[in-house]
Amino acid sequence: MLVLAEVTQFESLVGVNPWTALFTFCNMIITFLLLKKFLFKPVKKMIDARQKEIDDMYRDAEASRQEAARLQADYEEHLSSARAERDEILADAVSRARKREQEIIADAKNDAAAIRTKAEADIAQEKKKALNEVKNEISSISISIAQEVVEREITASDHERLVSEFIGKLGEAND
Amino acid sequence: MEVNGPKIYLRINGMNVITQTTVASFVVMVLLCTAGYFLGRNLKKRPGRMQVLTEKGVAMLYNLVEDTMGKHNAYWTPYIGALFLSSIGGSLIGMTGILRSATSDVSTTITWALMTSFLVWGCTIKNSGLKNFLKGYINPLNIVSDIAQPVSMAFRHFGNIMGGGVLMSILYTGLAGLSSLVVGAVRSNGWVVTGVTALAGAALLFLGFKKRKMMFKIFGAVFAGIAAAAALELLGVFGEIPILEVGIPAVLSLYFDIFSGGIQALVFSLLTMVYVGMACPPPTSQK
Repeated sequence: MLVLAEVTQFESLVGVNPWTALFTFCNMIITFLLLKKFLFKPVKKMIDARQKEIDDMYRDAEASRQEAARLQADYEEHLSSARAERDEILADAVSRARKREQEIIADAKNDAAAIRTKAEADIAQEKKKALNEVKNEISSISISIAQEVVEREITASDHERLVSEFIGKLGEAND
Repeated sequence: MEVNGPKIYLRINGMNVITQTTVASFVVMVLLCTAGYFLGRNLKKRPGRMQVLTEKGVAMLYNLVEDTMGKHNAYWTPYIGALFLSSIGGSLIGMTGILRSATSDVSTTITWALMTSFLVWGCTIKNSGLKNFLKGYINPLNIVSDIAQPVSMAFRHFGNIMGGGVLMSILYTGLAGLSSLVVGAVRSNGWVVTGVTALAGAALLFLGFKKRKMMFKIFGAVFAGIAAAAALELLGVFGEIPILEVGIPAVLSLYFDIFSGGIQALVFSLLTMVYVGMACPPPTSQK
C-alpha cells in the first residue's frame, strides 16, 4: 500500500481535466450511437410493429364483427320478407283453391242437372216409344183376335182405327 | 483518511491524459454497448423473458421522454437513454471498489451538462433562428442563466455522488477505528474475555432466533464477530480485522451509492429533457 501510494498520483478533487472531458464526450457519443443502433431502434421498431399488428388485428376483428352484424341484419330481413312472401303465396293459393272448389262444385252441379234432364228426357222418350210399341202390339193382337172372333164383319182398317181410338183414350186416362 | 480525486494513470507532457475516470467511463461504455448489443439482438414478435424486460425498459424511457418533452420529441429518447444509462452506470461502477465512480469527477458531469447546453442552443437556433436566439441575450441575465445552468447541473450530480462516496469512506474509516478499538480491548484481556464475548454473542443469537427479535440477532452477530476477530488475532492468523465494517456500510451504501446514483441520473436526464424540450416546442405552435 505504501509503495503504491508513493507512485500513485491523484488529481484534485474538484477540477476539470480537458482530456477526461474529451474522452467522456467521445464515450457518450459512442454509447449514444451504439445504443441507438443496436438497442433503441430495433426494440422500438419491434414494439411499434407489434403494436401495429395488434391494432390491425383489432381493426380487422371490428370490421369482421360489423360485416357479420350486417350479414345477420340482411339475413333477418330476407327471412322476414320470405316469410311475408310465403304467407302471401299461401293465402293466394288458398283463395284460388277455394275458388276452384266452388267452380268444380258448380260445374258438377250443372253437369248433374244436365245429365238428369237428359236422363229424364230419355226416360220420357223411351216410355213413349215403349207405349207406342205396346199400343201397336195391342192393336195388332186385338185385330187378330177380333178377326178370329168376328170373321170379317168389319174391315181390318175400320177395326184398327177403333182399337187405336180406344187405346188413345186409355192412354189419356192413364196420364 | 484522505479524500482524493481520481488516480492518474498516464501523464504526457504534464497533462493527465488517462485517469481513473477515463477508465471507468470507458468500462461503462463497453458494458452498456455490449449489453445493448446483446439485448437488442434476435428480437421476436413473441418475446422471451429478456426481451420483455428490454422492451419494458425501452418503452418506459420512451414514455418518460414523451411525457416530459411531448410526442414530437420522442426521437430524443436514444440520447436521453444513453445519458441516463451512462450516468447510472458511471455512479454504480464505483461500487466495484476497483474503479472510481465516473460521475464523482466534475470533468464527466460538466461535459454532459455542456452537451445538454449545446443541444439546447442548437435546438433554439434551429427552431427560432439565430436572430431570435441572439435577441434572447438582450437581457444579460439570460447569459448568467445559460452559464449557471450547466454548472449547477454538473455540480449537483458530481456533488451528490462524490459526497456519497466521501461519506462512505468516512464511515469505513470510522468503523475501522471503532473495530480496532473494540477488538483490541477484547484481545488485550486475553482468552477469558474473548470467550465471554463469544458466549454472550451465542446467547444473544440464540435468544434472537428463539424470540424472533431482530435486535438480539444483530447484537449477537456483532458480539460473535468481535469475539471471532479477537480469537483470530490472538492466534496470530491475521493482524487487525476491521470486523465492524461488515454489514453496517451495506445499508448506507444502498442509499448513498444505489439510490443516490439512480436519483441523480434521473434528475440529470429530466433536466436535460426539460431544457431541450423547451427548446423544441411542438410543431403546431410554430404555425
